[in-house]
This record gives sequence, C-alpha cells and structure tokens, in this order.
Amino acid sequence: MSLSLDSTQLDRYSRHIIMDEVGPEGQQKLLDGSALVVGAGGLGAPVIQYLAAAGVGRIGVVDDDVVERSNLQRQVIHADADVGIPKVESAKKFVERLNPDVTVEAHETRLDTDNVEELVADYDVVVDASDNFPTRYMVNDAARIHDVPVAHGAIYKFEGQVTTLTPDGPCYRCLFREAPEPGTVPDCATTGVLGVLPGTVGCIQATEAMKLLLETGDVLEGRLLFYDAMDMTFETVPYRENPDCPVCGESAIDSIEGIEYSGGCTIAD
Amino acid sequence: MEWKLFADLAELAGDRHVSVDADAGDTVGDALDELLSAHPPLADRVLDDDGDLRDHINVLRNGENVFADDGLETVLDGGDELALFPPVSGG
Repeated sequence: MSLSLDSTQLDRYSRHIIMDEVGPEGQQKLLDGSALVVGAGGLGAPVIQYLAAAGVGRIGVVDDDVVERSNLQRQVIHADADVGIPKVESAKKFVERLNPDVTVEAHETRLDTDNVEELVADYDVVVDASDNFPTRYMVNDAARIHDVPVAHGAIYKFEGQVTTLTPDGPCYRCLFREAPEPGTVPDCATTGVLGVLPGTVGCIQATEAMKLLLETGDVLEGRLLFYDAMDMTFETVPYRENPDCPVCGESAIDSIEGIEYSGGCTIAD
Repeated sequence: MEWKLFADLAELAGDRHVSVDADAGDTVGDALDELLSAHPPLADRVLDDDGDLRDHINVLRNGENVFADDGLETVLDGGDELALFPPVSGG
C-alpha cells in the first residue's frame, strides 16, 4: 500500500487523518477499500451517504427499484425530482455530487442465485440493507462461502436489529436458521416505518463497515443489537456459532446451488 | 416471571411486557406455555403444526439464548428476564 493522499484529500479527510485510530494509513485503506450495499432504500441511503463521505473508494449499489414518492419520508439520498428514476442511478448522482474520490458501481438488478456470488465476492465488505428475507439469506450464504464480512441491519416499525457476520464468527443462520414463511412477518409497506428509524440503524451498519475496512475496533460479531426507538433503548444479546449450522457449521455447504430462497430459504440436510 | 416481546410478537400479545404465572424451579418451557395459552394469536405465530417452536423464533433468558444450552428445559431462577424475538426484514 502506498500513501498517495493529495492536498485536497488531506483537507477533505483531515478529521480522520488527525486521529491515531484512522490516520493517513486508515484513510488510505478506506480509499483503497470497497463495499457492496445491497438495497438503496431506507437503510441503504445513510450507508451510501456516510461511506461515500468517508471516502470508501468503490461502492457497489444493488437495487432494481425506481424511486417512489412514498420513499422520500426516509430514503434521504433520493429527492423529489428523482421520482421515477432507478434508485441506483439516483444514488450514483448523490455520491458524485458529494465526493469525486468515490466510484459508484450501479447494479440495477435484483440479487438472485445467478448473480449473488459474483457480486459479493468482488467487494471487501457487504452491507445488507435489503428489505426481504430471501435476499438476506442469500447474502448471508454467499458472503460466508466467499469469506466476505456482512454488516447486517433490519427494521420493523420502531425497532431495529443489527449484527455483523464475519467469516470467523457465527452467521445469520446460527441465529435464525430459516426464514419465516412468506406472509408471516408483515413488511414496511403494510405496517409503516418511522422515517428516522432506518437512519439510526443504517448509520450503525455504516460504522461497522468502516471498522471492518479499517480493521479496527470490536464489531458486532456474535452479538445482536436491538434498538427500540419508542423506548429509546439499545440492548445487545450474545449468540454463538451453531455446530449444526448448514452454512458455517461442521458440514457446511460450499455452494448455494439448489437452495430455494422463495420460501423459508431452507437448506436440505 | 415477565416476558419481553419484540416486533410483531408484541403486537400479537397486545403488550411488550407480559407477566406469567411461573416461578423459580419452573422451566423456560413452563413460562412459555403460560404465555402462549394466555395469547392464542401469539401461539399460532410462534408454534408450528406439531406444536414446536418455529426455527426462527429465539428465546432469551437474562440476555442469553437458551438454545445454546438446555433449551426449554432450562430451570428458572427468581428474577429471571425472559424474551422472545423473531427476525425482521425491513429495510
């Protein structure tokens, strides 16, 4: 790694560079680093915002939706004039305005079993900011197979769950082996969501992604953080590797081939 | 003994905190039975067709996952805090 910060960068990132915990070396790691943000919605918006501001050099954004007016109450990178355009395009436009050091790779597609492994393996860190169980299980499984850490966050009305899935720690299936059957847990469109909630949760995910890239601090490995916006409480609960886990246990899978992600995301024994 | 419920489980029970008739010496399973018999919609949500707890529902006792050790057979102490949580998927 060669230090090649120019004078504009020394200025832009001066509040990072001045700290021992980041310094010029840490800033260089961020500039040389890459993150795949799965979903450019409520969680993805603050993640993209802060990773781009921090100078994470290459940010992939996967989303196949277009901006809708009902998104704007919480998806803070999209603006009124963006309604109708693809979210990845709006995200790219936002980042280009914010920081010329960052390259956005816009993947206007839905993550599926045909593209997930290639996408995940191409980045240093994955941030799961998706909005459905099939994508979340697919990200967990593919990232584990390719040893890529995942900053996971998910929300429900006034509550959030955040955890970090490192290649050496327990995975999402150690905590929740299978997904609830479709229709069991209502989604945001049905239940509503407090606009600022994904801001808080997404910022925690961005924090974890930064620490993973900087290789510093203690991430939420083996810990699930519950955030309750109504009570304004944060609680962390430890969880362990499950030796019988089909993805990271003793007889772990080495391919996602054959896993049916449309229902309970079950892996056959 | 008091249960703390998360996400849609709290909505089905009508409250985030639910007291049940279970004491030191009873098991986590006993406290769960008490909770679910008082709240049938919650029972429908967390139990499968065989009456077993669904794979994606987690039970905590004092902030530790009970399935890491004795599961629902875990014997309760006075003042234990119990919690039941599902995964959420919103983004």
